Amino acid sequence: MSAVSVQKGAAGSFGWVRSAETARVLGTLVLTLGVIAWAGGDLFRQDLALLGATYALLALGMYLPFNLAGALSLAYSAYVAIGGYAVGLVATKTGWPLPVAYLLGAIASAVLAVALGFATRRLSGFYLAAVTLLFGMAFQSFLLDAKDLTGGALGIGSIRPLTFFGTELDRRTFIALTLLVVWITAVAVDRIRRSPFGVALQSSRDVPAAVEAAGIGVPALRLTVLGAGAAIASVGGGLFTTANQTIGPDTFTLHLVMLAIFMPLLGGQGSAWGAVLGAVLVVELTFNLQIFERSGSLIFGVAVLAVLLIAPRGILGYAGQGARLLRGLLTRTGGTR
Amino acid sequence: MSAQLWVSVVQIGCFFGLVALGYYLVLEGADFFNFALGPFAMFSGLTASWLMAEQGWPLGVAAVLGIAIAAVLAVVTEIAIVRPVDARSSGGELPSLIAVVAVLFAVEQLAGTLFGRQLMPGRSWLPGVSLDLGFVTVDGQTIALVVCTLVSFTAVWVWTRKSKYGRILRAVGSNREAARTLGMPVGRVRLVAFALAGLVVGLAGQLFSAKAGVSFQSGFGWALSGFLALVIGGTGSVWAPLAGGLLLALAQTFVPYYLGSASLDYAVLAVAILFFALRPNGLFVRKVRV
Repeated sequence: MSAVSVQKGAAGSFGWVRSAETARVLGTLVLTLGVIAWAGGDLFRQDLALLGATYALLALGMYLPFNLAGALSLAYSAYVAIGGYAVGLVATKTGWPLPVAYLLGAIASAVLAVALGFATRRLSGFYLAAVTLLFGMAFQSFLLDAKDLTGGALGIGSIRPLTFFGTELDRRTFIALTLLVVWITAVAVDRIRRSPFGVALQSSRDVPAAVEAAGIGVPALRLTVLGAGAAIASVGGGLFTTANQTIGPDTFTLHLVMLAIFMPLLGGQGSAWGAVLGAVLVVELTFNLQIFERSGSLIFGVAVLAVLLIAPRGILGYAGQGARLLRGLLTRTGGTR
Repeated sequence: MSAQLWVSVVQIGCFFGLVALGYYLVLEGADFFNFALGPFAMFSGLTASWLMAEQGWPLGVAAVLGIAIAAVLAVVTEIAIVRPVDARSSGGELPSLIAVVAVLFAVEQLAGTLFGRQLMPGRSWLPGVSLDLGFVTVDGQTIALVVCTLVSFTAVWVWTRKSKYGRILRAVGSNREAARTLGMPVGRVRLVAFALAGLVVGLAGQLFSAKAGVSFQSGFGWALSGFLALVIGGTGSVWAPLAGGLLLALAQTFVPYYLGSASLDYAVLAVAILFFALRPNGLFVRKVRV
């Protein structure tokens, strides 16, 4: 152990270069760039990457209130849809640049999430899940019903592409940008997890009374992350809609939220990157595999049950454990040498 | 306003009531909302429909097998999934909620993979029978559903009052810790509650799939409707789920009739929020005499 601490001291002011955090940030950036290169010009791979990015943003949005604060809200299909419809409405009814739509969608869904969170502030567990699910259903009927605003069952089509200083971004560049957004969001959410705010959040899930006693209002904390999570999910919907240039009531369904609950579970709840890894696995199993074999969703369901029973910390949790074990072995042999 | 709509209210209401009765049993025995009961009902109905349509099995055998499968699914869920997850999370609600949603999803996909992903028709239990009450005609399937509902509720009511396990179930439902301290077999009662709930919703799935057909995705909506029926009725009495189911069916039938189809989902959401705000224990509250 002493050898390790001496090494850290010797690194001095350049310690950040060697820190695990830097390695994580740079490593995930390399992975993200790898995915961008993999998607390349292939249309099908672009679709997979885009879907994975959207799922990842949805899972990251749910990670804050659900995995950290313990409030399972299932209204997220509505927030993703709001992001999508914001893009559709801004593109077809106004001349504003599309990034305004991301902002408006994020604000609208955050406001809605805070309002719904306030209305359901006394509920938890099963009851909260059921009521928010009903909200999602009601929102879906609203999308079908309010034909003047949302275009009803047809939705909104022929959305103009994103322009950057006058030049249109092609699909390939846009998807690369989307993947970078996922990377930035995941890094940010993971930092939030380890910040004092994140610690308060996780304590409010396990021991709310202690957090209250420390002078932090738990209800306000919850509403904050519900709003922030909704905004992240809404950006995901906005980016997906921009790339596909169309949005309808069937684009983001309640089914998607059910998948999103399992993503961090499958990947590992210990880190925000677990949500991203879970999103990638879900896309692979339910979308890519489904085309060749119709039982992809079944494999996914069984995998979730297996992870739940055998590996409750998810794939990343186990990988981390293995890495720690390996490092322990290495330092031990280093010490005896 | 057609009188035939009232027949439909009774029919849907009995179905919701039966699913809510399943919830009630699990809630009393295990303090737990088993959302997978909806998919269990679906699996029961779909198994029987598939056996009859594709394999040419007779109705009676297919129905019994379907109901038995629902009960087996419920028992397996409790032993293999809910109990281990519950033991590990030491009382936390969220892990078992996730587990049950995962079961819901897995059962749905299993049914879709085994029996195909299209809507299958159910078959009426009393095809030749219909009852003419003068102002309405009641078909055989509705009669079978109503009779089975009344029999199920009466049986559960008698069971909770007269039998040993039924009385332990009530004791566990009112105070689990006290029941455990007194040395009651809490774990075994839990299992019995899960199995009974599986039987009840299996029967419900059989009877209802003849009305609207059944597909691998039906279970999700059924689970939500049963949950709402229980929220409206409460757990104050064995009969409360039936009352809740009938009220929910009344709302589901008449709100779209007068206000248009999209209003139904708004109304359901409004009812749920109102009930949680004003009457969190449902309409029927257990009164304690002091």
